[in-house]
Amino acid sequence: MTDDREPRARHPRTISGGSLQEADLPAAPDVAWRAGDRSEAPLAQGLRRLRKSTTALIGAVIVGVLLVVALFADVLAPQSPIASDQTHTFERPSRDYPLGTDQLGRDMLSRVIHGSRISLAVGVSSVLLALFVGVPFGMIAGYYGGRIDSVIMRAMDLILAFPIYLLAIILMVIFAPTAGLIGTIKVTGAIAIVRIPIYARLVRGSVLSIKEKEYIEACRALGVRDPWILMRHVLPNCLAPIIVTTTLGIATSIIVEATLSFLGLGTQPPTPSWGWDLKANVAFIQSNPWISLFPGIAIFVTVLGFNLFGDGLRDALDPRLK
Amino acid sequence: MRTYLLKRLLQIIPTVLGITFVVFVMMRSIPGDPVVALLGDAYTEENAIKARHDYGLDKPILVQYVIWLGKLVQGDWGTSILSGRPVLKDVMVRLPVTLELIFLSMAVALAIAIPAAIIGALRQNTWADYTATSVAMVGVSIPEFFLGVLLLLAFSIGLGGMLPSSGWVYLPGTCQTVVCAASLWGNTQHVLMPALALGVGRAALLTRLLRASMLEVIRTEYVTTARAKGLSERPVILKHALKNALIPTVTVMGLQVGFLIGGAIVVETLFAMPGLGTFGIDAIIARDYQQVQGFALITAFAFVVINLIVDLTYTFLDPRIRYT
Repeated sequence: MTDDREPRARHPRTISGGSLQEADLPAAPDVAWRAGDRSEAPLAQGLRRLRKSTTALIGAVIVGVLLVVALFADVLAPQSPIASDQTHTFERPSRDYPLGTDQLGRDMLSRVIHGSRISLAVGVSSVLLALFVGVPFGMIAGYYGGRIDSVIMRAMDLILAFPIYLLAIILMVIFAPTAGLIGTIKVTGAIAIVRIPIYARLVRGSVLSIKEKEYIEACRALGVRDPWILMRHVLPNCLAPIIVTTTLGIATSIIVEATLSFLGLGTQPPTPSWGWDLKANVAFIQSNPWISLFPGIAIFVTVLGFNLFGDGLRDALDPRLK
Repeated sequence: MRTYLLKRLLQIIPTVLGITFVVFVMMRSIPGDPVVALLGDAYTEENAIKARHDYGLDKPILVQYVIWLGKLVQGDWGTSILSGRPVLKDVMVRLPVTLELIFLSMAVALAIAIPAAIIGALRQNTWADYTATSVAMVGVSIPEFFLGVLLLLAFSIGLGGMLPSSGWVYLPGTCQTVVCAASLWGNTQHVLMPALALGVGRAALLTRLLRASMLEVIRTEYVTTARAKGLSERPVILKHALKNALIPTVTVMGLQVGFLIGGAIVVETLFAMPGLGTFGIDAIIARDYQQVQGFALITAFAFVVINLIVDLTYTFLDPRIRYT
């Protein structure tokens, strides 16, 4: 996306808008580009392409439906996801129990609906958390270079040197998995920690090339302070890969969450979680094959939704990666 | 090349030390220790102190790590606190199971990915391509354990229990103890579903990658030149295009090792296989310090060595890449 700006950046008149005021120089109308003069921003072009993408549309619809299900789980679920009914254990799918019941007589449909909350909450918030830590680290490392860069990146390498599941599993054992909101926060934290270096590396790579561009040099020459350069001029130019990696990262995080739950290290029962439900019901797979299917299908559809959306987004925002 | 190799081999040491040290500290920072589980009903404050002293758990962490390292250099991986068996012996018994699982799943992945990617790239935007990319999309979105459950439903519960749902039969010659079943047919039956469960996801990922790089490579001038020379399509694709397109794929295969180890833990748990994955997760949950260290050591080592192999594969795929 930086390609669009390059030819203009070589032109003396291309010092972009905000930096001039920041430098406290008198605004010269013939120097700064007015917003209207600019051709369409790369991000806007990308969004236009995104609207035409069928893949992204299907993904967006799946993600949208899931968000609605998670938000209105209390209204949509026909029964309580945790109330057990010993008189109705292992019910086959019927009108009363559309997806059947589990070994404690809990309604599977309600559990699957409520399970979406954990998956989406952990998937989205762990990636956001990793972003908020990883992106500044990556920007600082890339922009300043030298010793700061070495210190930050060696720390990131140490995390990356771990096989991701080994680290996530040990972190969860240290945090001691629990139920409810606290349990969810612990899982989110564990997944975020293992994902921080991915964003730091990605952003550092982009910053390394962006900081050599002439418009950054122009900002510096004008005396613009570093934080402003990083926020206004560097960050917007590495947004496309960040957005794409974030969307696809949510899909990965959801799989990691489900895997941790499957190993018994995710959010603990009675909080409904797809991974845990799948694992718990595998024991009864011989006699009641359907109950482990539904949580599995739920995980699969959710991951597929984010993957489709992320793929469409990548094609739209960064056509070179197609 | 020899200096490079030596340098890389030497780099293994700090990485492995780093990983095992961090795991060492992390495991010991968990509240509680294995002594509680070890003593069980016999737990009294007095016994616990004695047991901690016997296992050296009352010393400072750094001292414990140095002791562990010192023994390691002499070939002693320590003794599992809970089972009382030497860790190295258990690792050797379990290693062949996991190695076979990982190698076969990679073979499954390549066997699916290479033809699918070639078809997808050569017939871009035809139904064959759309099928390959859609199936790959489904493949990357399905977690190993769910695919495993689907396979269980199909082959162990459906189809008259054709394949066993759990346990293990060793490949002849890989069994390290006297009491284990070994037969080629039994082994095939046991390894088939786990290898598929672990391999299909990788296959999907590799298909997408390889298709993309094939598309790029077949438009380059040297491929046109190869065709212009009058070479038939087969050698052009297999020798000229595929070899170059494989470079990014090999990188990703190396990066996937971390996921493969996690996948092995999950798949081994699901199919109740006596491999390193179950060995590791059992140890971590039970806080069996020595066994966790053994697991961390072998995974860290595998991780570094596989990355080295990946880097060396480049020189084979592209002779211009030389390490000095």
